[in-house]
Amino acid sequence: MGFEFSVILESLPALLTGAKLTWLITLLGISGGMCIGVLAGLGRIAGSVYLGDEPHGFARQLSTATRYLSAGFVESIRGTPIIVQAMFLYFAFPMMVRMLPNVDQFRMEALTAAIITIMVNAGAYIAEIVRGAVVSVHKGLVEAGLSLGISRYQLIRYVIGPIAIRRMIPPLGNQFIISLKDTSLFIVIGVGELTRQGQEIMASNFRALEIWLTVAVIYLLMTTVLASTLRHFERKMKIF
Amino acid sequence: MTNIVEMKNVCKSYGDTEVLHNIDFSVAEGEVVVIIGPSGSGKSTLIRCINCLEMITSGELIVDGIMIPAERKRVRQVRLEVGMVFQQFNLFPHLSALDNVAFGPIRARNIKKPEAYRIAEELLGKVGLEEFKEKLPGELSGGQQQRVAIARALAVNPKVMLFDEPTSALDPEMIGEVLDVMKSIAKDSGMTMVVVTHEMGFASQVGDRLIFMDDGRIVEEGKPSEVMKNPESERLTDFLGHVKHH
Repeated sequence: MGFEFSVILESLPALLTGAKLTWLITLLGISGGMCIGVLAGLGRIAGSVYLGDEPHGFARQLSTATRYLSAGFVESIRGTPIIVQAMFLYFAFPMMVRMLPNVDQFRMEALTAAIITIMVNAGAYIAEIVRGAVVSVHKGLVEAGLSLGISRYQLIRYVIGPIAIRRMIPPLGNQFIISLKDTSLFIVIGVGELTRQGQEIMASNFRALEIWLTVAVIYLLMTTVLASTLRHFERKMKIF
Repeated sequence: MTNIVEMKNVCKSYGDTEVLHNIDFSVAEGEVVVIIGPSGSGKSTLIRCINCLEMITSGELIVDGIMIPAERKRVRQVRLEVGMVFQQFNLFPHLSALDNVAFGPIRARNIKKPEAYRIAEELLGKVGLEEFKEKLPGELSGGQQQRVAIARALAVNPKVMLFDEPTSALDPEMIGEVLDVMKSIAKDSGMTMVVVTHEMGFASQVGDRLIFMDDGRIVEEGKPSEVMKNPESERLTDFLGHVKHH
């Protein structure tokens, strides 16, 4: 049984359907992850000198609470395997919901669980990327902004943000690629993404070499698209 | 003349360490005050307290009628009236020289962009850098960056300018160009200025009053030429022996 090119051609439509799903989970996942990451990342340094004047009174207590909350989120997500998070969300979470009074019917779509898992998981790592980039902005620039009399929002929007974003791009590229590859783990909750499609075809024709090679090449193509998109952004913005 | 800055019995501590002890200090409108002193004497902290980059621990600070800490919610108002120039320039690295200068008018003063850019170009001309307006800070020399930084602070149209060792990070040949700009601001526009520096030549030529600080206290003050000629304390005599004369 030699290498059969025709096997690849036959399996390609199914694999591409899987790839489309992988792409969907990744794009929605990292978009949501960016939102969560920016909030949790800024949350972890709320009220610190990195974001301007230290708050007083109630604002001070609020930012302390935000810091603890964000840190708790980041640590608990970074500290547990993504596969456990997916299983928890898909199997355990609906069970918890059904325990509530007046709820008997609740199910979660596998695809929904997959997307949310990537959002939350990537969000925790992106939070650290955001925090790292913001903390790396020279304190003198924050002071220069403050000394002109701008608000905290303007300081973040026009001074800290533009400088930090440029520094976030390389580590974000890393995270996006990791998240894309992490979608292959959703095979365990039955999402028909690329790896699962490959697994199913393989189980029917036992053509491991052709199938896994094709699957690997498709992943490589997708990560290349992600990486070159980010490199394009990186070139457009000068890195300081 | 009215006092635009007034400090009454001001103390500043970091944790258990008090770095400013019971400072009484005021700046009159149009006055140029030069502060000298050894490193760690609290001179930078003192001027950073004026625009609330450091919040005073006790005592009272009045800037243009705003009382700190009582009216600490109006800190932004204080900063609009107090411009600052830093030792390390601190220009926004992602903005051109012109955008750096126009930043304050647009963001802090809500001035429309065409008008803000007109102000910015005029100020860049004043500091002699009109032809460098499209350059990023990284493409300018230290002296040029500091002149842009001075223009940026002036663009918000403050009533007082603070200079925190503006020439200490510069190569010797660039110090003159920055001092010249500062002199012209003091002389031509009668700007109120508080300058922390070791440039004794600048102090005697432009300064109305010289303050010597040591160990978080104002040790001596008076007319620059007199204080320099007849220092009362041993600390100042010693200090003056160490600073270069330009």
